[in-house]
Order: sequence, then C-alpha cells, then structure tokens
Amino acid sequence: MNKSILKSAFGILLLVGLLLIPRYVESPYALHMMILLFLSVAQGQSWNILGGYAGQHSVGHAAYFGVGAYTTMMLMHSKNIVPWVGVWAGVAAVIVVALIIGSICFRLRGPYFVLASIAVAEIMRLSAINLTTLTNGAEGILATELPAFKIGATVVTDFVTKVPFYYIGLFLVLLTIGVTYWVQHSKLGYFFQAIREDQDAAHSLGINIALYKNIALVISAVLTSLAGSFYGIYVGFVDPPTVLGLDVSVQIMLICIIGGMGTLWGPVLGSLILVPLSEALRSNMVTDLLVKIGLVNAESKIGIFLKENLSHAHVLLYGILVVLVILFMPDGLMGFVKKLALRRKREAV
Amino acid sequence: MAVFLQSLISGILIGGVYALIGIGLTLIFGVMRVINFAHGDILMVGMYLTYMIFTLLGIDPFVSVLITFPLMFLFGGFLQKVFINRVLDALAQNQILLTIGLGLIMSNTVMLIFTSDYKILSTSYSSATIKVGGGVSVSTPLLISFLITAAITAALYWFLLKTDTGQAIRATAQDRDAAQLMGINVKRMSIIAFGLGSALAGTAGALISPTYYIFPQVGSVFTLKAFVITVLGGMGSVVGATLGGVLIGITESMSAVYISSGWKDVVVFVLFLLVLLFKPSGLMGKSRT
Amino acid sequence: MAILEIKNVSKFFGGLAANSDVSFDVHEGTIMGLIGPNGAGKTTLFNCITGYYPPSKGEVIFNGRKLNGLDPDKVCMLGMVRTWQKVRPLAKLSVVDNVMVGALARTGSLKVAREMAMEQIKVVRMEHRTNFLAGGLPIGERKKLEVARALATQPKILLLDEVMGGLNPAESEEIIQLILDIKQRGLTQMVIEHDMKAIMRISDRIVVLTSGEKLTEGSPQEVVSNPDVISAYLGEPHA
Repeated sequence: MNKSILKSAFGILLLVGLLLIPRYVESPYALHMMILLFLSVAQGQSWNILGGYAGQHSVGHAAYFGVGAYTTMMLMHSKNIVPWVGVWAGVAAVIVVALIIGSICFRLRGPYFVLASIAVAEIMRLSAINLTTLTNGAEGILATELPAFKIGATVVTDFVTKVPFYYIGLFLVLLTIGVTYWVQHSKLGYFFQAIREDQDAAHSLGINIALYKNIALVISAVLTSLAGSFYGIYVGFVDPPTVLGLDVSVQIMLICIIGGMGTLWGPVLGSLILVPLSEALRSNMVTDLLVKIGLVNAESKIGIFLKENLSHAHVLLYGILVVLVILFMPDGLMGFVKKLALRRKREAV
Repeated sequence: MAVFLQSLISGILIGGVYALIGIGLTLIFGVMRVINFAHGDILMVGMYLTYMIFTLLGIDPFVSVLITFPLMFLFGGFLQKVFINRVLDALAQNQILLTIGLGLIMSNTVMLIFTSDYKILSTSYSSATIKVGGGVSVSTPLLISFLITAAITAALYWFLLKTDTGQAIRATAQDRDAAQLMGINVKRMSIIAFGLGSALAGTAGALISPTYYIFPQVGSVFTLKAFVITVLGGMGSVVGATLGGVLIGITESMSAVYISSGWKDVVVFVLFLLVLLFKPSGLMGKSRT
Repeated sequence: MAILEIKNVSKFFGGLAANSDVSFDVHEGTIMGLIGPNGAGKTTLFNCITGYYPPSKGEVIFNGRKLNGLDPDKVCMLGMVRTWQKVRPLAKLSVVDNVMVGALARTGSLKVAREMAMEQIKVVRMEHRTNFLAGGLPIGERKKLEVARALATQPKILLLDEVMGGLNPAESEEIIQLILDIKQRGLTQMVIEHDMKAIMRISDRIVVLTSGEKLTEGSPQEVVSNPDVISAYLGEPHA
C-alpha cells in the first residue's frame, strides 16, 4: 500500500518536473534532446504493444512511421492543410495499410511475418521514391513553415521556439504510456500475451487469434503514425530513407529490445540509453572525451580518424548492443533488473 | 522480340548470382532453422574482400574467387561458432535480432574502415559485351559470373548428393534430432552449413563486384532478395532456391524493361507477398506445420 | 442424451488415414475414455473435434450443432475445451493470469475473471502457487494448471489429452480425484489416457482406437475382456 502511494507520488513529481522544464531551461539543444527522447519513447511504446505484448515482431514499423509522416507533410505542403488536421489523415491512411498488412501477414507465423513486414515497409519506401508527383521522390518534402495554432481567434502557439514541440512530444509519451497501461490492464493485454506465449493454447481458450493480432497491429500502427507525423512537423523535412528506411524499423525495435519487451517501462529505459548514447557519438562527444582524458591525441592519426568517422558510427553501436543484449540479457534491461530483484527477494527469504 | 530476348537473357544471367545467394540462405535455414538477416552483409564483406584483393594484389575478381570462397567459409564458420550457436534453441525472434545485429556490425565496421563512399572495381571487361545475334548482346562480366555460378552450383549439388558430409548435412536439415541420434555431429554440420552459406554469399559478392557499386549498405538489398528467393523456392529447398533465384532475376529484368526500373523491386516484393498469401510453403516446398 | 456425436469421422494426411470412419456418442455428465496404442489417432481425433483440423469426412455434432470447420476459439465459446498432451503453459504469465485468460472468454471484467480464476485454482488445489510464473512449475502442477485454465472457460465438455502422462503415482492419483470431482459437478469429460488402471476407474464408457479405426466401444468391463483389445495391446508388437 505504502509502496503504491510512493510510486504515484514519484510519478506526479516526475510529471510536474517534466512540465516545468521549458520554464527554466532555455537551451534549445537541451530541449531538442528531450524532444528526441520523447519521440523515441513514443516509438518504442507503440512497437511494444504489437511486438512486446502480442509477440509479433514487426521489422517494418517504418511503414507506419513513414506513412504518418508523409501524409501529414504532403497535405501541408501541397494542399495547405494544417498539420493537426493532416495527422488524422495520416492515421486513417495507416489504419488502411495496417489492415492490409494484417490480413496478409497474420495468416503466417514466426519468420514469415517478420519477412512480410519488411517487404511491406520496402514497398512503401520504394513507392515514396517513385511516386514523384505525390511525394517529390528521393528529394523528399521540405515544409518548415508551420501555421500558428489558434483556438478561435487566440493564438495558442506560433511554433517559433522548441517549447510547443516539447509539450507535444511529452503528450505523445503520456498518450503511448497511457494506452500501454490500459492495454496491460484489460482483456486485450491478457489476450495479446496469451497469443505471444502460445498461439495454439490461446486459440483453444476462445481467443480469436487473427482478430486480436489485428487489434494489436492497428493500435501499434496508429500510435507509430502519430509519432511519425510529429517527427515530420518537428524536423520540417521527410525523405524516403529517414522515415521509411529499414534502419528506422530496426531502431524502433531496438528501443524495446534493449529496454525490455512487453514491459511498461522497457521502452523508456531503452530510450534513456539509446538516445544519449547515439547523440554522444553523433556530436563527437566520445572523441572529445577520449582526447580530454588523454587516451587519444587529437592531432594523431587515430584522433583525426575518430573525429572524422566515429560520428557516423552510432549504428555500429546499435549492432553491438543488440548482439550483447540477445546473448546476455535476452529479456532486455527490465528483465535483467527484475531477475536481480527476484534473486535478492529469494535470498532475503 | 529482341528486347524480350535481351531482358530474358540478362534476367537469367543475373538470376544465377541470385540463386547462389538464395542457396546460401536456404542451406543455413535448412540445417539450423535460423533465418540469417546478415546474409546480404556477408555478401558485402565478400565484395570488399574482392575489391581489396584487386586493388592491393591486382588479382582479377573472377580469379580471386579461389581466395574469397575459403576465406568467407572460415568467416561464416566463425560466426556460427561464436554467435549463432548460442541461440539455436532460443526464440526465433532472438535469432533474427542477433543476425540483424551482426549485420549492422559488419556494415558499419566496413563503413568505418572504407567510409561510405561508393567504390567501383573496374576491370578491362567491366562494360564489354558479346553480340549474340538478332540484336541481342550479353554483358561479358555477367556471362563469366553466370558460368562460374553454374559451376559452383553444380559442384555444390555434387557435394550435397554424393559426399558423406553432404549427406550428413541433408540429414541434419531433414531432422536435426534424428540425425544426432544417428551419430551425425550436428554441431559440426551447422558450422559447415553456415560456412558454406557464407562462402556462397561472399562468392556472389565477388562475382557481382565488377558490375555493381560497392558500398557498406549494399547488403540490405541482397538480404531482402535472398529472402524472397528462398521463400519463393520453399524454405530449406536448395533446388527451390536455384529456381527461385533465376525466376527473380527474370522478373526483375522484365519489369525493369516493361514497367520501369524504379518499380522493379516493388514488383519483386509484391510477388513475394502474393506467394506468402497463396502458397506460403513456396513453389517447391512441402508445407510445414 | 448425447452431448457430443462423432459421425463417421475420417482424417487423411496426404494418402495416410490418421482416423477412418470413427463414430461414437458421448453422453452428458459421463466420462468417455479414449484408449489405443501409440499412433492410433487419438490426438488427431481430438484435433478434429476441437477445430484444429477440419475432418476430411464425417461430422462432429456438439449440442445438436455441427462443428466441422469451426475454428478452435469458436468451439471453445460453444462450450468445448481441450488440454494438451504436451502442456502449453503461458510461461511468462503467473498461474492466476494463465487461468484468467481462460475466464476472459466469458467476461470482459478483469475483476470477475480473477474471481473465476481463483475458484478454479482452488478446484485444482494450487492456491499456494497463485503468483508463481507458469513456466517455472513442475510438470505435475503444469498439468493441473492446464485443467484449471480449461475449466475457467466454463465448458460443457472437457477433453483431456493424457493429463497423467509423465506423472508419478501420487500425482496421478490426485488427477484421478480431480477428474472425479469435476464429474461430480456435472461436467462431461472425454479422456485420452495410457494408464489402463486409471482409465478403468474413471470411465463410464471406453472407445478403443487402433490404426485410426474404432476397434470397439463399451463399458470398462466389456472392453477389458474383449480379446481384440487384448491382442491390440499385447498381441501386435509393432503397434
């Protein structure tokens, strides 16, 4: 009892803290980092519902991320439709795509589903490249001018600073965590997990497998699409590789694998590790650090090499992390922590 | 008609290389039930290996296959022994993720060493063609690579059908537990299978290096193609993969000519989805439940 | 009254007949034993009845309704549920969550489902395991968990596929008592079992399958004294 009060108190404090950050933190870079973190959490939570809870490991979530982002951006760019309307067009498009994918892929099990999910994402990416009149092809869509968001005549925000994006990102995080919590504490969560653990057993217990897989897919796809639209609007630019590439799918999945699949806090933990790490590599912080502590001479061949190349190598780090996690902590960090806690409990008893 | 024949012939020629890639993947899947998502990256490593041998030692890519094949075999055996072997009994998704991770490590390590610039391996015959007649001509490097492919495939069939090791591999693929009970060293067969699969992928990489751009991310395209080929042929079926490779080669070159080159990969993936939808066991496969 | 009617059911895989022309009725409130040597087609028959395979020929009629081609989940909703010879616990869920999955077939409320689940956990006497992960249970308790989970779907008929397989005598005795308890509550059961002694004790009637065909049917006494049955079990070493 005491524990749960403590937990909710901590949660409220954290939330208030997050809500207040933009009041005290003015550094656009810090806010940018937080927004990237929010985006990553939202992506991870969205994937987690299908991959973590229902056990359908999609390696094609870029399809939903990209279709959401593209629909919103295309409508804004060519039809002047404001993004907060375009988002819903994106959601509608994604539901259609998801149901098509679901009806093809969910008749298949295991590796076939993974392969089909990749194939669909690739079809989307190649279509975005080839449908130049709609998508502007490989050049992508640039649309940085956001109209002011008004309610009635009052301007709520004109999107000049990063603050509005910060709050939208935070809202996305709360939404995805909220949906996951709701799933976890409803019939859906039980059915998803039953399907994940043993499809035949679940079938025998009255669970309509195809129906519930499709429900998991649609929830997951819609949330991913929202994250995609947010990304498009925030960055102001989408092109096929950055929102529809295979890397995007892998990265979304990674957040959950590293944090822990099928747990509420896994994607948060995964993002807290992945986002700062890749940012540190990207901005050359790691090289700077190595130079600072005197391990590497900045002028030496190695120093120059690192400076020039390490910033491109954050994906290498992803690869190493995946291999290590799969070999040594197949349940992700959350699973690892839980196991430690359990062991401690047992030792205490 | 000349256009049709032309695209049919180039489809078959490139299909030979695809077959090699597909056979490698299907061999690994057959013996270990592991889907190797690093397959294209292994091919990419083969490309760079060939490129290095060519630029440093000046050995022709079609000759250096003799070096690439055994080196890639060792590389594959190493991957199996150190990584894949530990997840043979793990969940399918963990196996997939592990190989994705290995692929990322390969492509990004290569990128660190060689940067992401496109490299071109140009030989004296890279853009040479041979006229066949009737307005149809054949690219010389493609023709040579097809002939080498055919020779390797024939040798592989002989190996699998006629040698003791080959039969042991096929037995392991048919029923791992039973093979173990019959005294077959299943672990060794797995290493050989992964080594062979990698050697085939690496060789395919070597064979296409005179005609393709060489860059660290080139692998993912081939990984996807390899899947399409193996599923089309029936997972685990070597004959199926051979046919599947040629079929995909033809489909690609036909759709490049008759639809547009931008859409040729889409056609391949749509074909793939259709196969999954209507005959998931593949054209040659028996259904597995 | 017959709650379940199997009418001339055949199942072919390729050219092989796993079941051919099997017919019998199961009466409400009774226990029907299904025995036969390995490979006699017992589990295949269960799969045909519960919707995992459509029968190649013949009809499965449950409560007057033809089931052929109906999916397992629909079959479960109609009130027929089975357990698995090779147990299928939802390994990463706790015991109570496992049973709740079954109960959720009948209710949308987690609270009600939890109550229903606890009730069934009591029936199988596993209260002390409520919050244990199903994957970590010993085999005897996994078998009981299967039964509790199936019962939680509120079936009219329960199909048990070798629930005593791999158990020690004390555990088997517990399962026998459990099956008899369940019968007391008026539930119909169909039981595949290898242990002849056990099946004789619990069954009201027994069907004997050999090589996919029904050899005979009758009361335990009739079956055990049938010379064909004895030769099916002892006379043919290859069976």
